[in-house]
Amino acid sequence: MSESLFRISPGFEEVMPVEYRELVTNGPCGREVGVSDLGTFKELIEEHPLCAGCNMGLALRLILASLPKPEDTVIVGSTGCSSLAFTQVAVHNIHSLFGNQNAVASGLKRALRLRFPDKVKDVVVIAGDGATVDIGLDMVMQSWFRRERITTIMLDNEVYANTGGQESGMSPQGTVLNMAPLGKRFPKVALPEIAREAGCAYVATISPAQPKRLERMVRRAILTAREVGPTYVQIFCPCPTNFKFRPNEGLQKIKQRQKEGTFQVREYVSPEAQAFLAELEGADHEK
Amino acid sequence: MTASEYRVLPGPEGYLPPAAACMGVMLPEPGEALVEGKIVPEEDALQKIAEKLLAARNPVFFPGPLVLWAWREGVAEKAKAVVELVEAAGARIIPMPDYRPKYPMINPAVEINPNHPNLTIWHNRIDVGVFVGVHCHYANVALKIIRGGTDCYTIALCGEMGHEDAMITLRDVDAAKLRRLTEVVKTRAQARPARAAGAHERR
Amino acid sequence: MVNQRVVTPEHLFFEAQREKQFITGSEAVREAIRRANVDLAVSYPITPQSESMHLVGDIYAEGYLKEYFRGESELAVMAEVAGASMGGVRVFTATGGPGTLRAFEMFPAWAGARLPIVCAFLTRGVNSPLSIQPDTIEMAFMLDTGILMFHAESAQDLYDMILKAFVIAERPDVHLPVGVFADGFFVTHTREQVAVAPADLKLPPYDPYAAPVPAMDMESAPVRQMRDPFVMKSNFISYAAHASWQQEILAAQERARKYVHRYLEGLVEVEHPEAAVLVMASGTMVSQSREAVAVARQQGLDIGLVKIKSLRPFPREEIKTLARQARTIIVPEYNRVGWLCREIKAAVEDTTKVVGGPRVFGGMTMPPEVVLDQIRRCCA
Repeated sequence: MSESLFRISPGFEEVMPVEYRELVTNGPCGREVGVSDLGTFKELIEEHPLCAGCNMGLALRLILASLPKPEDTVIVGSTGCSSLAFTQVAVHNIHSLFGNQNAVASGLKRALRLRFPDKVKDVVVIAGDGATVDIGLDMVMQSWFRRERITTIMLDNEVYANTGGQESGMSPQGTVLNMAPLGKRFPKVALPEIAREAGCAYVATISPAQPKRLERMVRRAILTAREVGPTYVQIFCPCPTNFKFRPNEGLQKIKQRQKEGTFQVREYVSPEAQAFLAELEGADHEK
Repeated sequence: MTASEYRVLPGPEGYLPPAAACMGVMLPEPGEALVEGKIVPEEDALQKIAEKLLAARNPVFFPGPLVLWAWREGVAEKAKAVVELVEAAGARIIPMPDYRPKYPMINPAVEINPNHPNLTIWHNRIDVGVFVGVHCHYANVALKIIRGGTDCYTIALCGEMGHEDAMITLRDVDAAKLRRLTEVVKTRAQARPARAAGAHERR
Repeated sequence: MVNQRVVTPEHLFFEAQREKQFITGSEAVREAIRRANVDLAVSYPITPQSESMHLVGDIYAEGYLKEYFRGESELAVMAEVAGASMGGVRVFTATGGPGTLRAFEMFPAWAGARLPIVCAFLTRGVNSPLSIQPDTIEMAFMLDTGILMFHAESAQDLYDMILKAFVIAERPDVHLPVGVFADGFFVTHTREQVAVAPADLKLPPYDPYAAPVPAMDMESAPVRQMRDPFVMKSNFISYAAHASWQQEILAAQERARKYVHRYLEGLVEVEHPEAAVLVMASGTMVSQSREAVAVARQQGLDIGLVKIKSLRPFPREEIKTLARQARTIIVPEYNRVGWLCREIKAAVEDTTKVVGGPRVFGGMTMPPEVVLDQIRRCCA
């Protein structure tokens, strides 16, 4: 980022809406703040239009608070509930089509490397399960095969929520949903395993029920993507609206699924990423 | 009406007015400007802008992100020139800090948005609105909506090639051209002291 | 990178000493891209386009482009160049026929996002049944995507139009994608004399900061920026915003007109505009028609030829004016649907003057004699 991107031109300080003045004086850019500091700094996301109790909304807040270098991060999203919130996010972000997010991110990352060879520019894909595992799976996997230096984050709410509750590849087997009137007939797609085999250097599954762990995983994924190769984080955030639980039950639902063993927190780090992270995190320790 | 006779005038023009470019209005060449759809020498447009600003009941400048944020060298100088022009014209500032469809809604008293600029114009009863530092695409989106639904007289001070959908547009506007416009406004204001003083009092 | 000198577009197009090369249409694509100062190109194979992007790959290897890779499908390729274009670099790709249709959702997205992407469409038939042979039917589908469309008659046109497309696409008041269309095989796989500018010259680089929309690079204001947001709430405000946005794409197409005049030297080229009967055609059908018109004129028939170079923007005023004095307009085409005939009928005041056809498709060639027969019937 150019230093001045967050500087209000002289003469306009007074007229700038308050959310921007706060972003300048108390935003996360250029500062060491994270999820533990939520509530003490101006977040990158303004008010969002997602449903009450939306776990995805919470996941998005946590992801944005976890970005290692928000002032040099460009996000690529896709059609779905999350894209409704992205208009309110204070980093450059792209919505192109439904499912083409990893292809857009591939072109974008290469363009930014050409234009800014001496700067870190993190390109992070954040899309829903339908966009990632169904309509966009081809482009998601191809970006991993090509070893694009991008991080892919799936917001797994287990359903096409924005279109009204249809079965997705990530819906649990047996679930009755729109377009699955007799219950889903096959299990959740094993995208973490696919990611590992497709060339991702770092793969993790997590939920917003463990914010600190989520932060660490998102940071590790983005840092690994800078230097080693593509990375993938799958964030379990079940949809209260379509699975019909109360807005305040979201985290309980996640923990219940964890107990049942139908959601597990996991982390895979390739040997190369392991060496890279050990060096990086060791150095952080010494500081 | 044939295409070439189309005039870009304050609205409300109708349910969905056309883009002026599709009605045959062409952007000005360097040294020229557009006034109500007609190509004129730039100097004439400066005079017309000054006249409109000084005669306005409630002139408001809508600075956009290109000038609100000191993101690039030269912006701070341009911003200063905008502020001086606003003061000379006895106008107010309502910024367009970004282009997002804002959730849940904008506060029309303090901001303007290209997706529904009419809300801010109606709320503040703005009779002359000046766009400056707005990316051309979003300025054009907004200018048509304003012409469609409001009677606001729009002026675009464009850093690139101008806007057919504004009633008056300058092109290649930089700090120097803004300062020149400020001079014209000041000169005209001195010639009509009552009007200018009145405008200042209102603030 | 190869050391090349940046020159003005005017110098590269009109002033630089040109050298004649006996090359194919695919090679003409390579020669255009060699001088276009392209940052990034993405390729994907489909006949008859493939060779053009092989050759772009070759000049990438030589150091004329900064980045080049093979994508995984046309939809992905068009998304990849879109991402790169939003990142602020100059991009190029090419496709044709089924590839165009596979990628289709991206073209209105390019235009709506104001991306100055240049894409060569080297046309062929579409399924079913499968055909790899020349046909321009895909152009019918492309007419209303919002992209600008030029139609090359020859390898020379293809070279010139691709280079000029970048300059027109990137004008701040236009800033739209441009499709340069050429008939597959007839242009891509045949050899002709093509006059090209010196290889050590290139266009000036793309300036993303003069664009009508912010580059997605976290270097340009505003930071709170989505390309492009949903405007989809169920209320009049949202409809009006979307409508105004769409109108702005149409307006940008109109603004392109003066640049098409400046760089392509007109949207049409006319031979014998005073004639009672005019053949109006685009692409290689112009060449077939020119042969027929020459024979007909030798035989004393009052016939002229209109070559339509730009389909978007469409030369509606030019055609309306030409049609006023003509008795009959013949529109031969390389496709089944007669899209050019429809376009011309929409532009002229008296549609009964317009005679659609002859048309061939599915890979058939158009013998000039078939056009000549139509001319004879219409002149009778």
